[in-house]
Amino acid sequence: MTASKLNILPVPTFSRLGVNYVSRDTEGFETSRSTSDITEDRTVTFYADDSSLPVGEVTLNVGKGVKLKLVQVFDRSAPYVSKLNVTLDESAELELVQLYIGGSDTVSEIVTELAGARSKVSTVIGCALDGDNKLDINLIARHRGRKSESVIDVSSVLKGQSVKTFKGTIDFINGSSGAKGSEHEDALLLDNRVRNRTVPVILCEEENVEGSHGATIGRLDERHIFYLRSRGTSEEKIYELMSRSKLMKAVGRIGDEAVKARVYKALGWGDTDE
Amino acid sequence: MKQKTQVEDIDRSFYDFRYDEDAQDFFDSGITPDIIRGISEEKNDPDWMREFRLRSLEIYSRMPMVKWGASIEGLDVDNIVAYIRPKSRMNTDWDSVPDNIKETFERLGIPQAERESLAGVGAQYDSELVYHNVRKEVAQSGVVYTDLESAMHDERYAGIIKDHFMKLVPPSDHKFAALHGAVWSGGSFVYVPKNVHLEVPLQSYFRLNAKGAGQFEHTLIILEENSSLHFIEGCSAPKYYEAGLHAGCVELYVGEGASLRYSTIENWSKNMYNLNTKRAIVQKNGRIEWVSGSFGSHVSYLYPMSILNGEGASAEFTGITFAGEGQDLDTGAKIVHNAPNTSSYMNTKSISKSGGKSTFRSAVTVSEKAAGSKSSVNCESLMLDNISRSDTVPVIDVRTDKCDIGHEAKIGRISDEAIFYLTSRGLSEEDARAMIVRGFADNVSKELPLEYAVEMNNLIGLEMHGSVG
Repeated sequence: MTASKLNILPVPTFSRLGVNYVSRDTEGFETSRSTSDITEDRTVTFYADDSSLPVGEVTLNVGKGVKLKLVQVFDRSAPYVSKLNVTLDESAELELVQLYIGGSDTVSEIVTELAGARSKVSTVIGCALDGDNKLDINLIARHRGRKSESVIDVSSVLKGQSVKTFKGTIDFINGSSGAKGSEHEDALLLDNRVRNRTVPVILCEEENVEGSHGATIGRLDERHIFYLRSRGTSEEKIYELMSRSKLMKAVGRIGDEAVKARVYKALGWGDTDE
Repeated sequence: MKQKTQVEDIDRSFYDFRYDEDAQDFFDSGITPDIIRGISEEKNDPDWMREFRLRSLEIYSRMPMVKWGASIEGLDVDNIVAYIRPKSRMNTDWDSVPDNIKETFERLGIPQAERESLAGVGAQYDSELVYHNVRKEVAQSGVVYTDLESAMHDERYAGIIKDHFMKLVPPSDHKFAALHGAVWSGGSFVYVPKNVHLEVPLQSYFRLNAKGAGQFEHTLIILEENSSLHFIEGCSAPKYYEAGLHAGCVELYVGEGASLRYSTIENWSKNMYNLNTKRAIVQKNGRIEWVSGSFGSHVSYLYPMSILNGEGASAEFTGITFAGEGQDLDTGAKIVHNAPNTSSYMNTKSISKSGGKSTFRSAVTVSEKAAGSKSSVNCESLMLDNISRSDTVPVIDVRTDKCDIGHEAKIGRISDEAIFYLTSRGLSEEDARAMIVRGFADNVSKELPLEYAVEMNNLIGLEMHGSVG
């Protein structure tokens, strides 16, 4: 058995926190690889379930001025490794929507190279974990192009003994003058046995940039609970509604109705028409 | 054409004076069992301490270097002199301190500060304390403020030292903690009895004068129930071309309902590697406040850690880091919430210029025992040019649902709009930039006693003049 290091944090930190990388033995795993040059505006939807190969690697080069919307749903109970590398040319735009539903051991790396001037990436991620689910995400937005922009928005709902690590890095390379990057994570924890690790990194070697990140982690705001209880909503229903609202940021961006219906079913939300 | 105003580096010339030392006072460089035994003999260590030092050396020898953080490739510990014999014994009267050492501390303003605003002072020169004194009325209240070695040899405190020394920061914590355990020398011991509140601060000042040497002082502070203290630590060294090493250790025990403020203004010269470890454990309803200004050293690793171990304990960390030319300052804080209803607040500022690199690194850990806990982290970084670097690497690790954790960070430069606004109100661009940068550092300076805030402003020395491309 040879374990390889995956999801390596671009700048390592205190070793004892265990967030610098994950080790997985993927040798011999069947891998699905695809590389595409995106030359015209399009939407691509990808649904990984238990019939998918255990390792998926996708490399995309988005051409000048092209807009790509990529929807990835990870609804797989078995271990899974996903690698997504996207390079954006001048004024290219990526709208990335990712939804993680369960998963016994999912490792996902997303590297976006904002190579061209005025290239943009908007990433919306939703994570619904329960039981013994385990998820490790390593997202890197590397700004090389002038006036490039990145927005990262992650919402999670954790139950049971699930464990999630989100590492999000905004990297302003020298020369990315005028670039802007922002990152926000919102994690709703619904059980005392969950574990949520957040590592929002900003690396900066360019003066003329604006970077920010924020995170809110924990339980529901007691004022919200009080308000809704006073309106006759049960506590169970409140948690269900709030969980749903967190995940809707990502789910609501799925344009394909068939995929959306599948997601609703996987999340136990019934039909999309409901 | 848009012009930029240059922000000057910190002017360290004030601290950059030195005196020759006698070569025969220097131990051999390097860290060997013989050197450790020599230090132990020189200090007349009790048996347990000699064994502790040798055990620490073993740990040091087998422990790998850290694999993260600023590069310490330029540091060769085999070239560092771990111990320098003192020219005199410790004194409680400045007149008994050798002239050149006394002059050093006078130039640093320590005796004057003692007269005007401190309850007690400790002054360390190279490896040993040369002066330690505490006001009579403070001593009468039961407060103990002395050097650690005297306390270790005093039967009233020997047991306390043995029970607490390197229990919070064990030698196995990291390589430089192990090194500290082997070669530590000097430092202060403070004991504040139950219900005693010191209204005036105590201060220890550490001066490393010798070339190619290390300073390894150990500070141990114990606050009993419902007591309070403000402790101030200052440090500096003149500049040499050879690397110097500071691997001190601070252990703070904050009892139930007690409150400790620990302020540090660090201005090591740019040949220094500052690999310091500071840690506090806080019991029920206790409070630790760290105020930290990091301005000097070539490389720093400094992350004061607060372990909130009792219900309702709280921690606050306020810090500023200024990284100029040739500096790689890796600073931040660690907080462990390990009991219910604990709270923490971290507020830091970093400034990078002239090729300097600042890294804010933090860890907030909320254990499953910490239901009802709250934490807020806020860090801001300011880039003053295009050849510097500023990184922010926070980690938040939460293991309970019943908590509220918030984090915010920003990085950027001085905005053109702010400059435009201030210049439209009649300020020159230079003054406008100076005002903005001073305002940026204000969160730390306002937490310091006035005279130290002035020192910090001197340290920042943000002189604004000229213009570059």
